[in-house]
Amino acid sequence: MDQQRKHRILMVSDFFYPNFGGVESHIYYLSQCLLKLGHKVVVMTHAYGNRSGVRYVTNGLKVYYVPWRPFLMQNTLPTFYGTLPITRTILVRERISIVHGHQAFSTLCHEALMHARTMGYKIIFTDHSLYGFADVGSIHMNKVLQFTLADISQAICVSHTSKENTVLRSGITPERVFVIPNAVDTAMFSPAPNRLSCDEIVIIVVSRLVYRKGADLLVEVIPEVCQLFPNVRFVVGGDGPKRVRLEEMREKYSLQDRVEMLGAVPHSQVRSVLISGHIFLNSSLTEAFCIAILEAASCGLLTVSTRVGGVPEVLPDDMIVLAEPDPGDMVHAIGKAIHMLPNINPHVMHSQMKKLYSWHDVAKRTEIVYDCALQSSDESLLQRLPRYLKCGAWAGKLFGLVMIVNFLLWWLLELWQPAESIEEVPDLVLVQNEHEERMQDFVEAQD
Amino acid sequence: MSRGLASNSKYSYTHLNGKGPSEAIDVHDITVKKSRLRIFSSYSGAAVFLTATLYLVVLKELCISSIWSILVCFSLAKVVHHKPVKKESVVIMPAFGVQLETHYWSGRVIRRFIPISKILKPVLNECVTPVTCHWSLALILRDEDELTLVFQKLQPPVRMLVPVWKALCAATECKGNQHHLNLCARNSAKK
Repeated sequence: MDQQRKHRILMVSDFFYPNFGGVESHIYYLSQCLLKLGHKVVVMTHAYGNRSGVRYVTNGLKVYYVPWRPFLMQNTLPTFYGTLPITRTILVRERISIVHGHQAFSTLCHEALMHARTMGYKIIFTDHSLYGFADVGSIHMNKVLQFTLADISQAICVSHTSKENTVLRSGITPERVFVIPNAVDTAMFSPAPNRLSCDEIVIIVVSRLVYRKGADLLVEVIPEVCQLFPNVRFVVGGDGPKRVRLEEMREKYSLQDRVEMLGAVPHSQVRSVLISGHIFLNSSLTEAFCIAILEAASCGLLTVSTRVGGVPEVLPDDMIVLAEPDPGDMVHAIGKAIHMLPNINPHVMHSQMKKLYSWHDVAKRTEIVYDCALQSSDESLLQRLPRYLKCGAWAGKLFGLVMIVNFLLWWLLELWQPAESIEEVPDLVLVQNEHEERMQDFVEAQD
Repeated sequence: MSRGLASNSKYSYTHLNGKGPSEAIDVHDITVKKSRLRIFSSYSGAAVFLTATLYLVVLKELCISSIWSILVCFSLAKVVHHKPVKKESVVIMPAFGVQLETHYWSGRVIRRFIPISKILKPVLNECVTPVTCHWSLALILRDEDELTLVFQKLQPPVRMLVPVWKALCAATECKGNQHHLNLCARNSAKK
């Protein structure tokens, strides 16, 4: 078997540039590193406002902004079979070999994976978040996830905690789940050239100010820390519904000179905010993997975080102080961090992070998962249906029916527009000439 | 006169490089093949729609199911409706301009002339719709926000568009770098 075989990967998710976030940057960085390894990557997402159609981002990464309107929290309207024609067209014209879906919350991802599986492609799913089991939304989403993962080739989770959570929610066998942690762009997040003086200690908080990220904990922790440690100052970046509570806290305890509110910080300026501080405080109530603390550690900040989800797996013990999500415990942890501060060397931290986390490493590990997926055998619809029937007494039959209808629709589509009539796109090779403008070599594949 | 290159079940492409007085002129045609099946299904679709509408109007039964059936018949008729376009051609007159023509079966011809100085660049675009993705050839014109489609009514396959695009590029080449087009045979390794 040719171990160096190059794959043609389709990344599908509702979340991509121009949106900024964990999933978006994960897809972007992973795609860039896979391109460098020689594979071909195409991304499919929904249209963002006017941004619709085919776009090329850095290094020739092709993005299809499919003009389906998002309806709820950046998710495409779930029509079950509506996206079958466009998914099929993209899969055939780009000669895709593997489909990789991201994020359980993305309806486009689930639909595309279902269509790809009907057409016989191998599929991979990456789960980026932890979800609950008890509320109505979670129950429905877990059922959808169970449907998608019933017949998946391989799944990837970003931490061991996330793997446990995914396996429990979906009932997939653990042998099929790989754990590949996220990484951080250490070139972009580098520490300040000169060390800050330790006379005044600055604690940075950069997160969305929502319940899930523990904004309420901040409201209790900040006044107590300001009272116990007179030389400590806070810088809070980010915006959200809980910002009002933080402003109220500032007013109540007269902390206007000790707590600075920056508002929403654009992603490009996060580094400059981070390097202005000594300690990074993360108060999330749930986190599958926290890229924010990686960015902080890469900038040479000591991290204080709540011990939730996958956070304990992220950083070594000398770079992080963990606390329970309780105000008293967090204040104690911040005190401990302040004592640890003189022993911290930001540049040593940064070089350690460079060795521990790198997107190229993530891409190589993902490549292994792709090779593993492609080695599994091709199966017909009849062989795959029993897997759906196992999902539940009623749900199993419903899922089986959905797959059969999808198969019939695909067969009808094949009659209406045969795969041969969909023209394959030639690979565009960008040749960069330093002195002249870019020239394009149009390499045509002969039929 | 060098003739026809490519054709598929729906379209055929011909390239006429004239001799004689109109030596310099380049004409590229995309002709729609006359298909009896397509005409028949188009007319029958329209007939079904009209019959259904008339039947329901005459019987004065305008309830939800009748409106629904009218809508279904209309959408079916629209899908099988075949456009009355006979052919679309591009006449390239080097150093002068480009003329885009649409010929209909009824004999009507719509022409549009674009002077060469107005054309900035011809581009091959991938157009993504909610159900499919197809190629189109368009011109970027000076002082205009929208792209001008070269073939406005027809959607020919990309292998017919490429020679037209190359000819347009050659006709509108900029003074500096010339497009360097590499055509090499490559066996597409299909999985």
